Amino acid sequence: MALIECRSLSRTYRRGPETITPLDSLDLDVESGDFLALMGPSGSGKTTLLNLIAGIDRPTAGSLHIGGVDVGSLSRARLADWRSGAVGYIFQLYNLVPVLTAYENVELPLLLQRLSSRQRHERVAAALSLVGIADRADHYPRQLSGGQEQRVAIARAIVADPAIIVADEPTGDLDKASAAAIMDLLKRLNQEVGKTLIMVTHDPGCAEHAARTLHLDKGRLVEHALTH
Amino acid sequence: MRLLPSIYASRNLGRSPLRLLLSVLGSAMVVLLVLAAGGFVRGMTSSLHSSADPHNIMIVGIGSEESLERSEIPASVASLLAASAPGPPPPPASPFAPPEAHAQPPAPPHPPDPPNRLTLVRGVTPTALLVHTQAQIIEGRFPRPGHDEILAGRLAHTRIGVPPAALAVGNTLQIEGRAWTISGRLAAPNSVMDSELWMPLTDLKEATKRTTDSCAVATLQDAELADAQTFCRQRLDLEIAALSESAYYSKLAAFFGPVRAVAWVTAGLIALGGVFGGLNIMYAAFASRTRELGMLQCLGYRRGAIVVSMMQESCLATAAGSLLAAALALLFLDGLAVQFSMGAFGLRIDSSILLLGLGAGLLLGLVGALPPAIRCLRLPITESLKSV
Repeated sequence: MALIECRSLSRTYRRGPETITPLDSLDLDVESGDFLALMGPSGSGKTTLLNLIAGIDRPTAGSLHIGGVDVGSLSRARLADWRSGAVGYIFQLYNLVPVLTAYENVELPLLLQRLSSRQRHERVAAALSLVGIADRADHYPRQLSGGQEQRVAIARAIVADPAIIVADEPTGDLDKASAAAIMDLLKRLNQEVGKTLIMVTHDPGCAEHAARTLHLDKGRLVEHALTH
Repeated sequence: MRLLPSIYASRNLGRSPLRLLLSVLGSAMVVLLVLAAGGFVRGMTSSLHSSADPHNIMIVGIGSEESLERSEIPASVASLLAASAPGPPPPPASPFAPPEAHAQPPAPPHPPDPPNRLTLVRGVTPTALLVHTQAQIIEGRFPRPGHDEILAGRLAHTRIGVPPAALAVGNTLQIEGRAWTISGRLAAPNSVMDSELWMPLTDLKEATKRTTDSCAVATLQDAELADAQTFCRQRLDLEIAALSESAYYSKLAAFFGPVRAVAWVTAGLIALGGVFGGLNIMYAAFASRTRELGMLQCLGYRRGAIVVSMMQESCLATAAGSLLAAALALLFLDGLAVQFSMGAFGLRIDSSILLLGLGAGLLLGLVGALPPAIRCLRLPITESLKSV
C-alpha cells in the first residue's frame, strides 16, 4: 500500500456562477521515501494537490488516504492534530514568526506534542544542526539571510519527524547559490533521512533533484517522468 | 488543546510600538473612566451612609422628613426631648439632644465665578460634637456665640468654590451680608459634614432671621426609636416626627440613585466606544499577520489555541492600561473632592473599585480581541497563506 493514495481526487471552487476545477479526477500513488516534483503552469492544480496532501484543504470528490488515514473525512480539529504529526510544510516565503528566534520557531511544532523540555531541546538542536544553522539558533528571522531563513523553515518542517514533507516552491525567493544549497539539503533529507518529499516548483533545475516529476495542466496529470 | 507559547503573545505586542501605545492608552482611559464612575458612586454612597450614626435619631418637622433645610421645629423641642424622652440620658453638662438649624445661604461671591452657589451652614451648639462623633475640630476652636465666628469643614472650599487656603483659620467669609471669622477647621471624614460650615445656632438664627430650629439630634443608648416616636405622637402641638439618622441618609442616598445610574451609564457608553476603538486596533494588528495565522494552523495549531493567544496578547495590553489607570486613579482621583447638592464628598478608589476597574480592563481585552480574532481566522488556511 502506497503512503499516499489519491483516487479520482477532485477539488472544485465556486466563484459566483462559475465553477473552477483546479484538480480533476487525479489518480496518484506516492510511496514512502519518494521525492516527487510537481510542475505545470499557473493554475494547473499543483499547489491545490500539495495543499490537499498537506491536509490544509479538502477534496470535493474522490478519496485521499495518507498512511492509511482517510484525510478527507477528518474533522477540522482532528485534521489539525493529524497535520502536526504527519506533515511538515515548507513555504516559498519561509513564514517564520518574526518575534521568535530561530530556535523558538523550530520548537513551535514540538509544543503540540507531549515532550519534555529536554526532549524538545534535543530535537530542536538536532534539526538545526542537520540543516547547518545551529550557530544561528538565537537569531531572529530579520537577522538571517533568505537562505538561512529557509533552512530554519526546513528545520521546523522536519523537527516533529513527519512522514511527509511538502514544499511549495522552496527556492522561489532565493538566489541561485542559496537555491542550490536548499535543494541539496532537501535531497539529503530524502536520501539520507528517508523523508517523503513532495515539491511544487517552476524550476526544471530544481525538479531534477526529485526522483520523479509530475506535470499537471488544468487539473489533470499530463506527464509522469522518472528523473533518475 | 495545545496552546501557543505565551512569549508569542507577549512579543507580538512589540511588533508595533504605536499600536501598543494606542492599546495601552485607550484601555487606560476607559478603565480610568470606570474607576472615576466607581469612585464617584462609592464616594457619594459612602458619604451619605457615613453621615449617619446608627445610634442617632432626628426630630424634624412633620412633612420635612426628607429635607432638613425645609424642616422647622420649635426651639423648645430639644430641651423637651432631653427631659421627657425615656431613652436619651442627659450628659453631665448639657442636654444630650442638641438642636440644629440648617441653612443654604448663597456662597460668598468669588469672581469670576457667578454668585450662584449655595453653601451649607449648620447652626449648632457645642454639644453637637457629642452626637456627631464623626466630626472633630482639627485646628482652632469652636466658634463663640455672638462673635461672628465659624468652623469650616475640610471640603467646604469645594462647595463654596474657593481655594483651600481661603478657608484658613483667621480668614473671613461673607455670609448673609456679614463677615464671619474662621475660628477653626472641622473634619468629618467621608461625611457630608466635611463640606459644611458650622456656626453657633443662635448666630445662624439671627443671621437668617428665623426663630425655629431645623431639628434636634439625640443619641440613643437604652432607648429605642419607637420611644422617640411615641414622644412625638404625644406632643401633637409640636408637629414633629422622629426618624433615625440612618433612615434619613438612606432616603437621601436613594434620592441620588438616578445620579449614580447616570454616572454608570455614561461610563458604560464611553467604555463601549473604547471597545469599538479596541476592536479596530486589534483587527488591524491581527489582519496584518493573516499569513502567519495560516502558517500556525498549517503546523497543527487549532483555531481555538490561536484565538486564546490573541486574547492573551490583547489582555496583556489592556492589563498594562488598567494598571496605569489604577495608578493614576490612586494618585489623582482618590479623595478628589466633588460637590453635590448635599455638600461635597471625596472620590473613593478602594480595593473593590480597583478590582472593578481591572475587571473592566480584562473584559475590554477579551471583548476587543474576540471578534477580530474570529474574523481573521474565518479564512480558509489556503487563503490565509496567500495573504500579503
